[in-house]
Amino acid sequence: MAYTPQFYPGKTRIAQNRRNHMNPDVQLEKLREIPDDDVVKIMGHRQPGEDYKTVHPPLEEMDLPEDYVRDLVEPINGAKEGHRIRYIQFTDSMYNAPAQPYDRARTYMWRFRGVDTGTLSGRQVIEMRESNLEDIAKNFCIDTAFYDPAVCGIRGATVHGHSLRLDENGLMFDALQRYVYDEKTGHVLYVKDQVGKPLDEPVDVGEPLPPEKLAEITTIYRKDNIPMREDTELITVVKRIHRVRTLGGYIPTDEIFKEL
Amino acid sequence: MIEVEVFPHRYLKATTTEKFLNEIYSLETVERVIIHGQPLPKTVYYGPARGTPVNHSERKVINVHGVPVELTVMAGRFWITLKDDSEIEKIEEICKSLFPFGYDIKVGKFTRDKATVTDYIKYGERVVNMMDRSLIGLIDPRSKFESAVKIIPKEKDEKTSSKE
Repeated sequence: MAYTPQFYPGKTRIAQNRRNHMNPDVQLEKLREIPDDDVVKIMGHRQPGEDYKTVHPPLEEMDLPEDYVRDLVEPINGAKEGHRIRYIQFTDSMYNAPAQPYDRARTYMWRFRGVDTGTLSGRQVIEMRESNLEDIAKNFCIDTAFYDPAVCGIRGATVHGHSLRLDENGLMFDALQRYVYDEKTGHVLYVKDQVGKPLDEPVDVGEPLPPEKLAEITTIYRKDNIPMREDTELITVVKRIHRVRTLGGYIPTDEIFKEL
Repeated sequence: MIEVEVFPHRYLKATTTEKFLNEIYSLETVERVIIHGQPLPKTVYYGPARGTPVNHSERKVINVHGVPVELTVMAGRFWITLKDDSEIEKIEEICKSLFPFGYDIKVGKFTRDKATVTDYIKYGERVVNMMDRSLIGLIDPRSKFESAVKIIPKEKDEKTSSKE
């Protein structure tokens, strides 16, 4: 059945931002240009310039049994080469971060192939073949309006901080202080990689976005920005799902859907 | 005896905390201050980098009226015990000058003033009955007195405590 995906219900700006994230045809605004090597350093899985480690020989050289699914699905480049699977994990502050875990998961699923994401309340991990992951991390997750240096953190472990007040410089709290605010330049510098190992040189990820801009591009409903209650269309959908799940369960009958 | 909660809308840097504590302790009615905030670990306690020193720039020794106090938390809330309510406006003025990003002040009761079963188990009945009343409820039972409580001498004994 052919249909046009609607991505997300809702009439407010927040809902529109969520749709923009999820819609693969929408190009998110490019806000910064972080060099490839710097992203590799922050992720900390390999040294910049080092070859990718592999877990199996290239698929073409492998003698695999006949399988028609293999003919249907084109493998991503990293899988073709046999690269390892690595991860990058983000934490998004509740103070108008551009993305949040559920939005991230849906966005990754809509936009990319060969990705495994894990969603938790305060963090969101992506697992993927290393080379493809680096490409996505740089070109989508960090360089675009999907990321803000102050209210998004690249944190592999010890992620605590998404639900806390920001610090005096407007940065999200981080017990390991992986990034610091440079008061001279106004930029955010990563001084540690995502798990907290110190970097040789700090990595500059640019200036934090102004609060007005964040309020405009965020995908988080907030009482001091746009509250969820204002979005009547979304509320209708949420109520419908709630009703169908609680009353219908595993045996949805016609009666439950009658008034919906 | 009343208590005031000061709740800045941002987590404070060590320098701001230092300024705030110094100004608060200059007031006459202040008896003790409890600092509440996010703990800052000395070493990474979890993950592949476990054991690596954190070197957090906000975990440092500050100077409160000549007494070195090691800040182990990033301050986010203060519970100030006052003798009476005559200086609440002064506290408000201090907050206004130090917290341009906003703050909340509440007057109420935020700590316990009676010994609990835990206290009796931990310290014994005799010690609890003998101990200074103002020490009750100052720190949580798992922290050590020396690392969590600092006594700042002035005309009277005053204490500041760091706790999670």
